[in-house]
Amino acid sequence: MNRRFRDIAYEGVLHVVRRPLRSLLTALTSAIAIAVTVNVISLSFGFEEDIRSDVDLFGRLTVDVGRLPVLIPGARRPSLGPPEARLIEKKLDGLDAVIVPRRQVAANARADGGDGEQRVSFVAAPPAYLKTLNIPMAAGRWLQDDDPDGVEGEGVCVLDAAAVGLLFPDTDAESDIGRVIEVDVAGTKRRHRVIGVLEDPLRYRELFDAFDEGRGSRTLTSSLLSFRNVYVPETALGDGQFTGISIAMPSEDALEEARRRLLTVWSVDAGDPKSLLTGGVGVFVRKDWMDALAVSTRQGTLLGNLVWVIIVIVAVIMISTLNLITVRERYDEVALRRCEGARRRDVALQITTEGVLMSLVGGLAGLPIGYAGAALLRHIVDFPFRFEFKYAAAATGVAILLGLFASVLPARHAARLQPARVLGRRLR
Amino acid sequence: MAETVQTPSGSDVETAIAVLDEAGRTYGGSSVAVEALKPTNLTVARGDLVAVMGPSGSGKSTLLHVLGCLDRPTTGRYLLDGRDVSHFADRELAAVRNNTIGFVFQRFHLLRDETAQRNVELPLLYAGIARPERRKRAAEALASVGLAERVTHYPGKLSGGEQQRVALARALVKRPALLLADEPTGNLDTAAGHRVLEIIEEENRGGTTVILITHDPEVSARARRRLTMRDGVLTEET
Ligand SMILES: Nc1ncnc2c1ncn2[C@@H]1O[C@H](COP(=O)(O)OP(=O)(O)OP(=O)(O)O)[C@@H](O)[C@H]1O
Ligand SMILES: [Mg+2]
Repeated sequence: MNRRFRDIAYEGVLHVVRRPLRSLLTALTSAIAIAVTVNVISLSFGFEEDIRSDVDLFGRLTVDVGRLPVLIPGARRPSLGPPEARLIEKKLDGLDAVIVPRRQVAANARADGGDGEQRVSFVAAPPAYLKTLNIPMAAGRWLQDDDPDGVEGEGVCVLDAAAVGLLFPDTDAESDIGRVIEVDVAGTKRRHRVIGVLEDPLRYRELFDAFDEGRGSRTLTSSLLSFRNVYVPETALGDGQFTGISIAMPSEDALEEARRRLLTVWSVDAGDPKSLLTGGVGVFVRKDWMDALAVSTRQGTLLGNLVWVIIVIVAVIMISTLNLITVRERYDEVALRRCEGARRRDVALQITTEGVLMSLVGGLAGLPIGYAGAALLRHIVDFPFRFEFKYAAAATGVAILLGLFASVLPARHAARLQPARVLGRRLR
Repeated sequence: MAETVQTPSGSDVETAIAVLDEAGRTYGGSSVAVEALKPTNLTVARGDLVAVMGPSGSGKSTLLHVLGCLDRPTTGRYLLDGRDVSHFADRELAAVRNNTIGFVFQRFHLLRDETAQRNVELPLLYAGIARPERRKRAAEALASVGLAERVTHYPGKLSGGEQQRVALARALVKRPALLLADEPTGNLDTAAGHRVLEIIEEENRGGTTVILITHDPEVSARARRRLTMRDGVLTEET
């Protein structure tokens, strides 16, 4: 940067300092816009990151092998049974894989003595299944090898948070242990005693529910995270075909290797959602799904970001207008500077410096205001605000851009001024 | 008796500081065009002291703005210091204004929020000169107009005469070849006006060419050469 450039920019700084009240007005507008910006950014990105970590609970290191097509009910699907499970075991030899086949049917369940049937998913899985799920227990314990399966007499079950919410809406997880549910599986009534309850992986379930209600339909996230599963011992559903085989891997590298090897057996890589409509057996790497899911929460993020973008645009318009008025009052000054050797672009530089400086100062003042507002909001409703340096840095960047955009018109106007029009005017 | 200014020619032109060659300035579009300065020929010799008189609206300021490179002639040519500046770009014109021409206006046009010192520094700032050097030269210029004691004063705290002298210091700090003054005493009482004129004359004696617009015959009488402007037409008084 040469000296001339610096000195001219400094003229802008001086002007801001010497007109504190006028500058304050512009800065205030920027402060409000930036306060909202940082507030919304820390909410929406915080939300996104929280959902991302929620979603991670479903096992980023898990590969699923499933029968396709999954999206066409009644369509003929290929065989997936014990031979396939053994094939997988052979293929993944030496990779330290935990192979967990499961069978799953839709069933009606009700709390013992309670009324109102609830639609749940009845999942017969071995004890190792928890490992592919990765979700902690809220109360009780997970299934063990010698647990009674309920085919004859009373069996046991573990409920996920969504199922608990349906079956025992008013009690806490701890007191649900030991209660019995009645399940109607394909016409056969069974009794299962609750031995464990899973934690709710959806931290903001209420928020999602409210959002779903508002939309009149479920979001992808909420529907995928609300399984309503009743987990029972693996023998509970006989020895027919598997619904799916989940494979938990010890590391990312092992995960990739497993995917590679499995794709040599079944060629449909279900990372592409379209493949869900094709036939055959698909290899799903859950990580891809989780990532896709997390991206879908962007919609919500986008909505939030629209709010601050609009407010920033309004601020640009307001500051533009303010600075334009200020420039109109400064025709004499601008003309004189031109007269003394300022080029058009020197004038534009000065006006832009002034605009950016005021906006930046306002923006920096807006940061703590925004965070204070967010903290207050978090105090009232449990919103997942995240306070991070990078959001503050982003908001500061927005403040600078705000100043730049708001300076375009005033700077252009000032630069276009013809000094001769102003300077020759006489006093009367 | 008045006679029309002659077409510039010969050795006059080469030594002249400013030459208008059929230069005119028209404002506005074709339908409402105002021919503020009709095509004019004028040769201003180096070191001259020229007064321009004429009724209000006759085009005096327009002439001065063209001479000062604040405005381009819409027809003809303008040679300043031997260079045809009629088609100079903004950047070049700014440079010319910055190092060749000093301006003084009826309304002093000082920056109200800046001290006398910083007002005088302004042209040096646009010349890219470092602050210490700027301060030194500004202080010298202020001293040369008798305002050594007013360096840190703001324009609002100065009398009209003092303000105009600050403006003069600002014009002179560039050491301009051409000093243009648009009614420099028009807003001052007689004593303050005299003081300003004395400084201008002093500067002129040092070799600076001066063109000044005035409504005051007494001021005009002190010039070496007198021109009259009427309806955009410049005539020489003999
Ligand atoms: N920017 C402009 N646009 C249109 N017309 C203009 C412009 N500037 C000056 N004029 C017109 O040009 C003519 C000459 O104006 P100018 O300011 O040069 O007169 P002047 O002799 O300086 O008058 P005064 O003694 O009042 O200062 C006037 O009719 C004026 O209205
Ligand atoms: Mg005039």
